[in-house]
Amino acid sequence: MSDTLTLDVIGRRVEVNGEHATVRFAGVVPPVAGPWLGVEWDNPERGKHDGSHEGTVYFKCRHPTGGSFIRPKKVNFGIDFLTAVKNRYVLEDELEEDGKEQIVTIGNKPVETIGFDSIMKQQSENKLKFPSGSAPLTGTFSALKVLVLNRTGITWAEVLRCAAECPGLEELYLESNEIFISERPTDVLQTIKLLDLSSNQLIDENQLFLIAHLPRLEQLILSDIGISSIHFPDAGIGCKTSMFPSLRYLVVNDNQISQWSFFNELDKLPSLRALSCLRNPLTKDDKDTQTTRQLIIAKIGQLKTLNKCEILPEERWGAELDYRRAFGNEWKKAGGHQDLDKNRLSEEFLMAHPRYQFLCLKYGAPEDGELKRQPLMLKNQLLTLKIKYPHQLDQKVLEKQLPGSMTIQKVKGLLSRLLKVPVSDLLLSYESPEKPGREIELENDLKSLQFYSVENGDCLLVRW
Amino acid sequence: MRECLSIHIGQAGIQIGDACWELYCLEHGIQPDGVVLDSHQNQLENAKTEHTNASFDTFFREIRAGKHVPRALFVDLEPTVIDGIRTGERRSLFHPEQLLSRKEDAASNYARGRYSVGSEVIDLVLERTRKLAKQCGELQGFLIFRSFGGGTGSGFTSLLMERLTGEYSKKTKLEFSVYPAPRVSTAVVEPYNSVLTIHSTTEHADCTFMVDNEAVYDICHHRLGVERPSYASINRLMVQAVSSITAPLRFEGPLNVDLIEFQTNLVPYPRIHFPITTFAPIVSADKAYHERFSVSDITTACFESSNQLVKCDPRLGKYMACCLLYRGDVVPREANAAIAAMKARQSVQFVDWCPTGFKVGFNNRPPTVMPGGDLAKAHQALCMLSNTTAIVEAWARLDHKFDLMYAKRAFLHWYIREGMEEAEFLEAREDLAALERDYEEAGQSF
Repeated sequence: MSDTLTLDVIGRRVEVNGEHATVRFAGVVPPVAGPWLGVEWDNPERGKHDGSHEGTVYFKCRHPTGGSFIRPKKVNFGIDFLTAVKNRYVLEDELEEDGKEQIVTIGNKPVETIGFDSIMKQQSENKLKFPSGSAPLTGTFSALKVLVLNRTGITWAEVLRCAAECPGLEELYLESNEIFISERPTDVLQTIKLLDLSSNQLIDENQLFLIAHLPRLEQLILSDIGISSIHFPDAGIGCKTSMFPSLRYLVVNDNQISQWSFFNELDKLPSLRALSCLRNPLTKDDKDTQTTRQLIIAKIGQLKTLNKCEILPEERWGAELDYRRAFGNEWKKAGGHQDLDKNRLSEEFLMAHPRYQFLCLKYGAPEDGELKRQPLMLKNQLLTLKIKYPHQLDQKVLEKQLPGSMTIQKVKGLLSRLLKVPVSDLLLSYESPEKPGREIELENDLKSLQFYSVENGDCLLVRW
Repeated sequence: MRECLSIHIGQAGIQIGDACWELYCLEHGIQPDGVVLDSHQNQLENAKTEHTNASFDTFFREIRAGKHVPRALFVDLEPTVIDGIRTGERRSLFHPEQLLSRKEDAASNYARGRYSVGSEVIDLVLERTRKLAKQCGELQGFLIFRSFGGGTGSGFTSLLMERLTGEYSKKTKLEFSVYPAPRVSTAVVEPYNSVLTIHSTTEHADCTFMVDNEAVYDICHHRLGVERPSYASINRLMVQAVSSITAPLRFEGPLNVDLIEFQTNLVPYPRIHFPITTFAPIVSADKAYHERFSVSDITTACFESSNQLVKCDPRLGKYMACCLLYRGDVVPREANAAIAAMKARQSVQFVDWCPTGFKVGFNNRPPTVMPGGDLAKAHQALCMLSNTTAIVEAWARLDHKFDLMYAKRAFLHWYIREGMEEAEFLEAREDLAALERDYEEAGQSF
């Protein structure tokens, strides 16, 4: 690059030894002679100062160490698209200067380099120069479907201007541009299906509302933007939002999600079918990845693929049942009731578990028996049973603790020793205090008490 | 026309085949029922009139205007996997006679696949193969897809390969084999099946491209962000490599490499025909276009073991030959510069007796990604096939496991009762030991 600096250099994107920056100042910096360029680096820690030198402010940076002064010679301004194309594809000895027109063949598609009437599929990034004024690009890229503008330092306003020239745009990649979404795209970007906003740390959830009404947006990539929460205020608990109507696949890897409420909100998206949420604080815990996956599946009902693994119906069934059981006690404490008409759940519970009601409708309300979770010690597995003798009224009612896995034969053996009655004479049955009057015979000697669903507190009836 | 016949054997072969034909159809604009879309029809016409050499006629047969049928045969000894194809998305793509299944499977037993159950079906398979071969103007060769560890994949393939050599001695036979992964096993008797099949197939196969599930599993999990890769994800990645290897036969390119050329350049001795496959760039679809991969980047990546589709450390061995297949928007000038840079590296060591170790091919079509797949679209890609002595580590591992089981004669009776003899086991083991020695000898200096 020559030593002559003109003012149009300000705002241009440059590269020095692999690091990208934007020119903010061009001129002389006393006391050192010669022309200098003041640049603001993409990486805020790369620089030495914030644009001021020995008391004089030459340009402003966002960060105290974001700026440097560099000699123009050391800086790579990049080349425009046409030159890049020529350098790459046209071999030296085949160059034909044919008046004004030159046809360069990229693959099998001839690209005419005059007037930008080209059918391009991809522009190479970081060599893209943007007019800093409001001059529109010459010609429209009517066939352009994919536009890659990663790391170009482009602003949202410039994106929209660009998009105005590409009416058929379907995929737009804007990674690492420090984009701040400032306005809602009204006539532009309406055909867009995929939007990649990864690594734009300035984006927060409120800005997302500005792009929430793009009608065809199917894939949204929000990796590494520092987002931790999301909220759709237009939809209440259990309802679907009108935002992001076509969004099918959302990527939120490498963010700061640490609350389950995030996933509760995602359930409000009407078309969401696939989600990737790796490497977030909530999902990072290695030993619990299985539980985390199950919880996410249970919280977002229409999800079919999570972290690129298909959710099979059995997996969903298992996850939802586990979820229902895991929070059953909380549900009861919050006012849940077996008879769903009598349900009066607290606001807090509904906020934390918006799908719980639906799960109760689908699988039935959780029963008390399911919810009791006692530690697996032998004494907890013993059934405390009363033993009554209906034919011998004078005998005392005994209470015994027996394991559920004990077979009827062994029970009879125990009773026979107790009562001094031969085993073959004994007839056993039981009744449960929950269902009085109903007696169930324990006829098969080889089966266990558990097989007959004998539970704690039941009463064994012995006859001979 | 230099046609290629693909034969898919056993569960692994069939499932890879399913993914493979899905990808070929996407690449050629053929719909799942074999019909070509109109816009592509014009492309076909152009392709045929302009370049009679490279067209997808090598893999598809046009039975009437617009309808194409793959030149493929699917064989399995039990019906469930093939039924999946018969009822799946591509059921109208294949002719029913191309999908062969029987009722009783090989039960992970080489002996059943080769002797008892396999022998009942071999004649039918050969008949169908003859029929498909007759439909070819000038058959170039066979592509066999199978696994080493399964019963049908190991046993039946050995039988088939022998008979194919008998009938089509001059035709090339290339194999795509799923090698048993070091730490992830699908069958306890894998080592037996693998050793037995390698022994009987080596002299009949011209080149065997190996992939192993564990390497691909790791790639899917760590690089592509798939939490728990299923066989579907693994197969989709594998078939990208298969597609790259067969791309020169299906598409135009400035420097195309066909099947025979591969062999000539990759196989220094008849028995040393087990190259490893590497693929670059491997980028998750969620990170598409985030990083710019130059030609030198992807070339360097191919020499890293993390991009390999087989678990093997090439730094422990020496390269005997490398075949680099560039796809997409790659300019020969850049490729040559990248290769020159690799040659200068210390870590890439070639054997003394092979001074110019690289064969390069260029193909214009970039790889196609399956919609909803895990891999990002790349405009430049590279598939590298390298014949390295480091693969002896894979054989050593297999032999070690074989020895441990054989020392106790564990599981042996299942093979004996199907008519095999212990002598065959010893012979096979000897053969593999000889293979290890051959590799070591090849790697030695003058």
